[in-house]
Amino acid sequence: MNDGGLHNRKEQEKSQKQSKPSKFRSKSDDFALAIAKVAIAQVCESVGFQGSQHSALETLSDIIVRYIYSVGKTANFNANLAGRAEANVFDVIQGLEELGSGLGFAGGSDFDRCVANSVIARDIIHFIGDADDIPFAYDVPRFPLVKEWKEMESLWGKGEQPPGEHIPSWLPAFPDPDTYAARLSVGNETNSISSGEKTELARVERKMERSLLNLQQRFARNGNEGGSSNYGGYAGRARVASESNPYLAAPLHFGEKEVEVSPVVLPAKLSNEVALRNPVPENCDMGNRVSVLETFAPAIEGMTSGLCDLDNGQKKVVYNQSVHFKIGIGKKSFGTAPYFNSQNEDLEKIASWFRNDNEKDDKKRKAEKILKESIESSQKPTQL
Amino acid sequence: MNHNPQSSDGKHDDDSALSDFLGSLMDYTPTIPDELVEHYLAKSGFQCPDVRLIRLVAVATQKFVAEVASDALQHCKARQAAVVKDKRDKQQKDKRLILTMDDLSKSLREYGVNVKHQEYFADSPSTGMDPASRDE
Repeated sequence: MNDGGLHNRKEQEKSQKQSKPSKFRSKSDDFALAIAKVAIAQVCESVGFQGSQHSALETLSDIIVRYIYSVGKTANFNANLAGRAEANVFDVIQGLEELGSGLGFAGGSDFDRCVANSVIARDIIHFIGDADDIPFAYDVPRFPLVKEWKEMESLWGKGEQPPGEHIPSWLPAFPDPDTYAARLSVGNETNSISSGEKTELARVERKMERSLLNLQQRFARNGNEGGSSNYGGYAGRARVASESNPYLAAPLHFGEKEVEVSPVVLPAKLSNEVALRNPVPENCDMGNRVSVLETFAPAIEGMTSGLCDLDNGQKKVVYNQSVHFKIGIGKKSFGTAPYFNSQNEDLEKIASWFRNDNEKDDKKRKAEKILKESIESSQKPTQL
Repeated sequence: MNHNPQSSDGKHDDDSALSDFLGSLMDYTPTIPDELVEHYLAKSGFQCPDVRLIRLVAVATQKFVAEVASDALQHCKARQAAVVKDKRDKQQKDKRLILTMDDLSKSLREYGVNVKHQEYFADSPSTGMDPASRDE
């Protein structure tokens, strides 16, 4: 029985080791591996193959990627051995010799061999002379993309003074006070119920949403700084982004043209969905994020979805792990909102109006979803 | 010393040959894109602002791929020739040269890379065994 237990444990460990992805198989490397596959398929085609098995192509591209990696590693090692941080041509040629030493090359056994007139270099020259010049099939951008971090926008040092001596100036600035300060003044405004008061409330809500939107955008921008790769960086948004991310799309066949997807599709989609749900004037100005909000303002007005967005915003903030905000507003009952904490009967009446919109839950959720998607996809032009 | 001036001349020739070589590199566009090579070299810690070295690695890699692929092609053609000996009509059908795992592993073995591919995957250890021995 002991032997059986040991055997199982060993197998488990082995399987765990195998299931752990190597650095050439990780998700963030998918793009580079795909490019390598295309390049190697092209080389195979030039050699004379007319097709290949999928597994064979993947195996070969994996090996080639490791070859490049080991050439770089060896060259770097040689450079460091010579006391340099940057590699030069001799390091690279020595690295190539080391990788080719298994197969052997002419003059490999000479003890006074000079790297400069190495056989490897001569072979490469012959290869260049013989082989055709086949460029790569696609236009490859520089990757991984390095986004510039907009430093000055969020620091106190820009010109404002941090409130209080205990806050150092190198910390990011506070967001709009609307997003975290309780709006107790709202209760005082609604002493009598009239349509004018209702629009006042809506205006206040809109302002809050706008400042929250800015907050979300700010965290989205700063959350992805520091050289994070654009294609593998953020899993939460990658799901949505991968549907319309051009770098993850399938490669084009010969003769096809690239189509600008994101700026065109979105307004049509938005306007279609919105028109289906609410008769809202179409607002196709995607450059202005506030206008997107205005598009939905009638849909959200008078509903609890405006405050539910706070929750979405809260979730996003938590995901980015930069700042945690406690906007103590419950999603379910309106009664816990700081707005309506007052004892005023009139406020209770307004609260009951909003609470009775439970049958509009589906609409509200759909409007939320559309708003979220539009925010995420409207942020894409800044990311790309 | 006597052989010093000669060796220094030799070095000059080598250096000039090398610089010519690097210059000729820039004329040739390798099939493997520079960005890909740069990405993996950066991953390995290789640091060099010189584009010619990236091209050198790209060309060397392409040469390696071409060698492996041509060896695999030899294997593929040899197999087709062996089959054709038996039946003449197969020559018309099997004109397509496909890179298979089998040929690839044979050609890579000569380069020191051992690629073993599973022939098939089975559900359990006793799949395909005789019913008599399965009970054991």
